[in-house]
Amino acid sequence: MNAATSPPGYYGLPVIHRSHWKWLVIFYFFFGGIAGAAQAIAAVAAARDREGNRDVIRAARYVSLAAFLPCPALLILDLGRPGRFLHMLRILKFRSPMSIGSWTLALFGAAATAVATGQALDDRPSLLPDGIASLARRLLGPASVVAALLGVLLSAYTGVLLAATAVPIWAKRSRLLGPIFVASAMSTAAAAIDIATESRRIALLEGICSATELAVLAAWFARLGSIRRPLAAGRLAPLFRHAVIGAGIAAPFGLRAIGPHMPASARRAIEVMAALLTLVGGFALRYVIVVAGAESADDPAATFALTAAPGSEAGR
Amino acid sequence: MTDNRRGVTLAPDHAVGFLTDASLCIGCKACEVACKQWNGLPADDITGRLTGQSYDNTTDLGATTWRHVAFVERASGPATAWLMLSDVCKHCVHAGCMEACPTGAIIRTEFESVYIQPDICNGCGYCVPACPFGVPQLDAEAHIARKCTLCYDRLRDGLEPACAKTCPTDSIRFGPVADLMAEATARVETLRARGVADAQIYGDLASGGTNGIGGLNAIFVLNAAPETFNLPAAPSLPADRALPAYASALAAAAGLLGAAFLAFGRRRS
Repeated sequence: MNAATSPPGYYGLPVIHRSHWKWLVIFYFFFGGIAGAAQAIAAVAAARDREGNRDVIRAARYVSLAAFLPCPALLILDLGRPGRFLHMLRILKFRSPMSIGSWTLALFGAAATAVATGQALDDRPSLLPDGIASLARRLLGPASVVAALLGVLLSAYTGVLLAATAVPIWAKRSRLLGPIFVASAMSTAAAAIDIATESRRIALLEGICSATELAVLAAWFARLGSIRRPLAAGRLAPLFRHAVIGAGIAAPFGLRAIGPHMPASARRAIEVMAALLTLVGGFALRYVIVVAGAESADDPAATFALTAAPGSEAGR
Repeated sequence: MTDNRRGVTLAPDHAVGFLTDASLCIGCKACEVACKQWNGLPADDITGRLTGQSYDNTTDLGATTWRHVAFVERASGPATAWLMLSDVCKHCVHAGCMEACPTGAIIRTEFESVYIQPDICNGCGYCVPACPFGVPQLDAEAHIARKCTLCYDRLRDGLEPACAKTCPTDSIRFGPVADLMAEATARVETLRARGVADAQIYGDLASGGTNGIGGLNAIFVLNAAPETFNLPAAPSLPADRALPAYASALAAAAGLLGAAFLAFGRRRS
């Protein structure tokens, strides 16, 4: 009828409902990613060169448990009915990333605790009575493998969880969201370990993960088309450009490039600064992606672009 | 079970639902009121926020608004065309909300409708962005997700849903989905013969409103493009995106951990 004169849609009102997720979930995505990826890094380091990576393995295991600890509380407080948090474990549902994630987090917590306990006994054998200590140390090997596998899933499922929604900016390029979360989890975990212990190897890994993150982010941004709007314009755009890319990815590379030319006494400080910036960037990335989802859900043009009938002009 | 006004026999494993016909809607909002009365839902607070958008001060489906009458006024030659449609939960054959629900609170009933069990839902809110039609929403007072129940309690007693019962023009009809689809097909033919070029079924596998959703148990006859009523033309089932997303995420993890394996064996300088 008058499609040419009236804009598509209904008074510009949102087609879908935005998620309520805000700070609690943003912090959870950040800490959960670090906790999961740190276990995977520890296991790979142990598999490759247990003696040479001793400090990295120890730091990774403690970092993982420390990052895990706030996670259950963050998620439970985010529920409308926190008292019913155990309902998350009344069924296991493979089709629901939230169900997979709940089980993963619960089992990961047990494994990460076992791993940290075993590590603590390695560091200080007198910490616990002999009987318990020997049991805990025997459990360390299997527990670290289980924790690493669950950790990979923990750092990966959050991107899947967002992709499996009707929110245009999360749904449009759903296959790139998981890799973004995985790469950022790995880079932030490496950064946290880097701060806890001095290691050229972990700094190298951090760089590899950050570079991967940048490449996937660029591909994601480019392929979102018109749906990228919350990232390209508006209040999130400078945060995405300057905090996520600039401070979080470019600046650490710059600092590491100038590091070797600085006095030896300043090199460690520069490395720690680079790692801190990676952590800031990783947090900003979670913030930008979650908030962009809310803005995208509120934009009927984005929803219509995602759900245009095959063969029609997008959204009409 | 009991036959209702339209002679519909309710039996288990027998999909029933709504046919909502925009060409018959007069915008009286009796469905909104009947729904709120039967389900004990509070009135929408419109104090100080009259929308100015035609006669619509409800604007959206929500936690306590399970029927929403959309009003569209638009120029049609020298006159103004009125379009009205009562929107509702689609009770999808493959429901995004139900697939997303981690607690199993959202179930498929014996009537093939999609129902949120209020005593199981813990208010995680994942069903809210997982619905491609924007139906469920977290209730600010009950702190759980709520939406249309297809009057599950009335169906159990052999009654049709309150909105269909009250609709004075039979714009909202209740019955077996197969019968409603036949009625809708005939109605669209009639409307097209009368010159309503945009007449279409929404929620039919062939004609749109579904894409991996497998059809809707609450279908619509529209007299304009779906977007006119804020309905997505070809929504997809969000849960179908999970498996490819897992695959790419785990592949990325494998690649990066492979890189880590190399990095950790590197000679320390």
